[in-house]
Amino acid sequence: MAAPRPGWSRRAQYGLFFSFMALIAGLVVGLVLLTLSLVAPSRYEIVRGAAIDVTAPVTGGLRAVVDTVKGMVSGAGNYWDAAHQNEQLKRDRKAMVRQIIRARAVLLENQQLKATLQLREHSHGTVATGRIVGSSFSSPRRFAILSAGSREGVRIGMPVRSAEGLIGRIIDTGATASRVLLISDRSNIVPARLLRNGQPVISQGRGDGTVDLRPLEVGRNPFKPGDIVVTSGTGGLYPPLVPIARVVRLDDDGAIARPIADPSSASFALVEQSYEPEAIQTEAAEPGGKR
Amino acid sequence: MVRAALATKRRIGQGPRTGAAYIPAMSVVAGSLLSALPIVSVSGWYPDFGFLVLLGWRLLRADAWPAWWAAPLGFANDILTGAPIGMSVALWTGVMIVMDLVDRRTIWRDYWIEWALAALLILAAETMEWWLAALSGAGFAFRSILPPVLVSTLAFPIVAWLVARLDRWRLGR
Repeated sequence: MAAPRPGWSRRAQYGLFFSFMALIAGLVVGLVLLTLSLVAPSRYEIVRGAAIDVTAPVTGGLRAVVDTVKGMVSGAGNYWDAAHQNEQLKRDRKAMVRQIIRARAVLLENQQLKATLQLREHSHGTVATGRIVGSSFSSPRRFAILSAGSREGVRIGMPVRSAEGLIGRIIDTGATASRVLLISDRSNIVPARLLRNGQPVISQGRGDGTVDLRPLEVGRNPFKPGDIVVTSGTGGLYPPLVPIARVVRLDDDGAIARPIADPSSASFALVEQSYEPEAIQTEAAEPGGKR
Repeated sequence: MVRAALATKRRIGQGPRTGAAYIPAMSVVAGSLLSALPIVSVSGWYPDFGFLVLLGWRLLRADAWPAWWAAPLGFANDILTGAPIGMSVALWTGVMIVMDLVDRRTIWRDYWIEWALAALLILAAETMEWWLAALSGAGFAFRSILPPVLVSTLAFPIVAWLVARLDRWRLGR
C-alpha cells in the first residue's frame, strides 16, 4: 500500500493489509453490481426510485429559483424592444388565426371520415403532470428527472410529452419523482413519419441534444431543412401524431434534427397512458432492453 | 520584531475540526449531490463532480480515507447521478488501486504531473462510461467523449484548489 509501513506494530500492519483486501473486495463487488445492472436493470428499480425521491424535491425547489431569475432576465429583454415585438406578434397572430380556421375545417372533415370508417382509437388520457426538474449532466446518456412518480400513477414505459412535442419515456419511478429517457438519448429509437408526406422514418437520439433521422425505405433522401417529423404510433410505445423534431441539417442518407420540445425550457410535462400497453409488457420482459 | 515575524498565526488550542476524518468523504458525497442541481443539459458535458472531488483528495493525500471507502462512496454516486449501479463502485475503487501503484512508482510529483495524472484518470473514467453506454444499447462515436474529458480536465485544478482549502480548514491550519 501507498502509506509507509507502519513500523513494527503487528496490529497496524494487519490493519493495512485488511484495508487492502477490503479494497479488492470493493472492486469485485462493484464489478458484480455493474454486471447485474447491465443484465437485469429492473433489479434495482426500488433503490433507484428511492434515490430519485430523495433528490428531486431539492432539485425542484432550486429549479423554481432558477426559473424566477431567468424570467427576470428575459422579461427585461422583452421590454427592450417591445414595440417591434408587438408588431411582429400581431402579424404572427393574424397568420395563426387563418391557420387555425383551416385546421378546424380539416379536423371536422377528419372526424367525419373517421366516423364513416368506424376507426376505433385507444383513448390515451393524461396520467399525471409534472415538471422536468433536472437531468443527467455528467454522462453521455440523456435522462431527465420528472416531478411525478408512482403515487400519481406513473409507470415504467409511459410516454412523456410537453405541449410542444414528445420528450421521452419513463424508465425509473420513485414515489414522487421519476426518470425520463429523453428522445435525444442514443438508445431511444422512435418510429416516426414525415409530416409533409407521411413517409415512415426512424428517429434515434445522438446524445448531444439532437436526433438522427433515417428513412425506412432506401432511396432518395426525403428530408428538407425545416421538415417536421411526428410519431407514427408504430410499436405501440408512443401515441401517434406527437411532434418530435425539426430538421436542421441533411447528411448523406438522412438528417439531423432538433427536438421540438426542449426539456430545459418545457415547464410542464404530461405523462400519458402507453398507447398499446401490451407492447410495453413485451418490452419489459425482454432483458436489458431498456437501459 | 523578529519573534513576531517568526510566530505562526496559529492560536494555541486550535486543532482539527470535530469529525475532520469524515469531511473528505462528506465532500465527495456533496460533489455527487451537485447532480441534484436543476441543470437540464442537452449535451451532458458537465464534469462528474463527485469523481473530481475524489481525485482531488486522493492526489492531495493518500490517507484522506481508508481506501476501501471508495466503494460505498461510488455506490452513493451511482444512485445519486443515475449511472448504472456499480459503475462508480468499480471505477473509484480501481482509481484508488491505480493511485497506490502510482504513489509507489513516482519519485517526485509536482502540479503538472498531478494534473496529467488526473487527466488520464478522467479519460479512463469517461472511456469506461462510453463503453458501458455502448453495452447498454447507446453506442456512439468515441470522439464525442472528448469535449467532456476536456471540460473535466480543465475543471480539475479548481476542484483541487477547493479540496486543498477544505483540507487546511478541516485540520485547523
